Amino acid sequence: MKGQAPKGSVKKFRMPTSQNLVPIRVDFEVEGQRFKDSFTWNPSDNDSEIVKFAKVTARDLKLSSAYEKAITSSIQSQVDYFRSFQGQDMYTGERIVPIKLDLRINHTLIRDQFLWDLNNFESDPEEFAKTLCADLGVHDPEVGPAIAFAIREQLYEIAVQNVASARESRLSKKGRRGGEHTPLSKASSTGLDLVKSFGHRSSVIRKRKEWDVYEPIVDLLSSEEVDALEAKEERNAR
Amino acid sequence: MELAPHDPGSKQLRPDEPELDLYTIPSHSSWFLWDEIHETERIALKEFFDGRSISRTPKVYKEYRDFIINKYREDPARKLTFTEVRKSLVGDVTLLHKVFNFLEKWGLINFGANLGGNDGFVTWGEARCKVKVEEGVPNAVRVGANPSDSKPLSATPMVVDRGGGSVSRINLPPLASYSNVFGDLKKEGLVCSNCSGHCDSGHYEYDKGDFLLCIKCFENGNYGENKLKDDFKYNEAVEKSGSNGVEWTESETLLLLESVVKHGDDWDRVAQNVQTKTKVDCIAKLIDLPFGEDVLGSGHRKGKHGGFSGNLSGSKQLSSSECQETTKSQCHKQTNDSEQNGDAVNQGPPLKRQRIASLSDASSSLITQVSALPTMVGPHITAAAAEAAVNALCEETACPREIFNAEDDCVTNGLQSPTINCETERVLQLEDSEMKERPTESANQDALIKKDGIPPTLQIRAAIATGLGAAAAHAKLLADQEDREIEHLLATIIGTQMKKLHHKIKNVEELELNMKKEYAEIEEEEDFLLGERIGVIQKTFDAGVPRWRDHPCVKS
Repeated sequence: MKGQAPKGSVKKFRMPTSQNLVPIRVDFEVEGQRFKDSFTWNPSDNDSEIVKFAKVTARDLKLSSAYEKAITSSIQSQVDYFRSFQGQDMYTGERIVPIKLDLRINHTLIRDQFLWDLNNFESDPEEFAKTLCADLGVHDPEVGPAIAFAIREQLYEIAVQNVASARESRLSKKGRRGGEHTPLSKASSTGLDLVKSFGHRSSVIRKRKEWDVYEPIVDLLSSEEVDALEAKEERNAR
Repeated sequence: MELAPHDPGSKQLRPDEPELDLYTIPSHSSWFLWDEIHETERIALKEFFDGRSISRTPKVYKEYRDFIINKYREDPARKLTFTEVRKSLVGDVTLLHKVFNFLEKWGLINFGANLGGNDGFVTWGEARCKVKVEEGVPNAVRVGANPSDSKPLSATPMVVDRGGGSVSRINLPPLASYSNVFGDLKKEGLVCSNCSGHCDSGHYEYDKGDFLLCIKCFENGNYGENKLKDDFKYNEAVEKSGSNGVEWTESETLLLLESVVKHGDDWDRVAQNVQTKTKVDCIAKLIDLPFGEDVLGSGHRKGKHGGFSGNLSGSKQLSSSECQETTKSQCHKQTNDSEQNGDAVNQGPPLKRQRIASLSDASSSLITQVSALPTMVGPHITAAAAEAAVNALCEETACPREIFNAEDDCVTNGLQSPTINCETERVLQLEDSEMKERPTESANQDALIKKDGIPPTLQIRAAIATGLGAAAAHAKLLADQEDREIEHLLATIIGTQMKKLHHKIKNVEELELNMKKEYAEIEEEEDFLLGERIGVIQKTFDAGVPRWRDHPCVKS
């Protein structure tokens, strides 16, 4: 990490958002039935909360204790995975990453793309999603959380990669084998990339033809389309 | 304040009309300047100003800000959303969102939209910012090709001249809130711009600028310089607009005066010279000018003098608008310093009023201003100044002094009429002062008729000369006073310095005394030590001399 970011300071690993919430995706099959859910979890909560949460979920959905156990272990393993990175250094300079959304929540299809500063620790995906829904007039209450979750998931993934590549580069300090370093060098240069992407006359205003790319698109699907899509996803999963 | 039925030909841009090309921001955001970044912005959006990132600089911030505001200005009635903005801007959406929220919080965007898209709901308390869209818009909005962007460019100087009263700001990008904050302040108190009195019951408003007249002044015909009667409309409580007058800029008026002096009654040629105005407009304007007839008269007889007065009036206008400008900037600073909203409104007007009262304001006519000058000084000075002026004029024009002297009697007669307010002046009044009153005091007509013997040019020149002489005398008095004050202060300073020096010397002397004492003590001690040492050596000698010889190096 040394030397590549003279201006950025080093921070211990956490979610690169204002609230340190980890996206958790639960997806398993028990007794021939699929269980899918996604939510955020505060990793500093006591582990007993996970058990409690699983119990309440199972009771609310009238599921058997097998589900309860599966939920607990799924969350636990993901939280543990997150915690395994805690304590590691994290580069905290500016790092702009493109976030792409392509989601279907119930009848709403949403596609969007925007730039996100991975290391802006003031960022708030929930707030962003709320604004997006309000601006687009999306009324489905599930859409906002789903967008926020998707953003968090991508940020989490990039942050983990970032830490992993940092560790890798520490391990292989002696030889510089290019392939291994691509993600890291990419990380250090994205701040510059943003300035480059300011485009002609270094204006922050995007070129007009790119506006559509960075514009959210919302489609409302009919029930038949939803069914068809779900069937397709089902097939792909198998 | 609903949109007035506009006559498209005459582009009146009254500041309180919600024009498409004007931009409204709330009074609490009056710190906002289009071409600057204010402290409020620096504090609220630190990340752009700490210089930590090359992609977050003040310049980038300004571009973000300007783009967002301009985007909103494309259609102010519609609420601008963040999602709409972010697709056109390169950068971290979190940061963009922060900027957007900041602008929205301060009402720099979505202000009109929040009010239901109708400016009519904006109360008097809101400062209104006027902006020509065309000028300040960065390239991006031009690309946007919004029809409202290409609003009248030709009218731009008018907005700045009239509404802001500032000559020097024409070239600056608009959205300069201060002039408008100021325009509003003036209306707040409803102060008559002519006599500086309050006009609570009702007032006449000038259609083309921030200019109010109380009923009294209006009836007396004190419309102020370059203002037409038709352009005033009566306001009681409800604002209505609609004017049929033709707008005259200061430069046009000057041009008109010059051409009248040159061509006299030949209105066709005058109108040709003025170019932008028709013949009828020119005639109407000249008649409405407080001293228009005089100029016309003098233009017939002696072109030179008329030109002189025209030029003088021009420069006068300029200087008065300049001083307005300074007052405004002062007030603007004050506005910034004080709290953002109501306080500014409360503090502004008194300062302005003082200024109007003390200084000859821009609204009154040149002649009135000149006539006001002698009243500022004592009657003796006025008399002396008048005397000198008459003498100088007599010498210069070689016309007999009797003209003036002959008039003396009838003038004093005329002065007995109750229209002259200044009592001391009445006693010592010379005909010059009387003449100066002429254009504004309608009751003196009979006196005037009597002294038609003196050519008006001479009258005016004498009047002006008197005024200037009086002003010079007054200035001299002030300068003398200032001098005395300075001398006094200097004396005080020198006295204080002397005291200081005295104290220092005393201190040094004391120190010296102490030093001497100490020196004596030390010497005494030295003597004592020497004696002791001698004693010790003596004793050693007495006790055992040989030992010392054996080890001479032990003791040194």
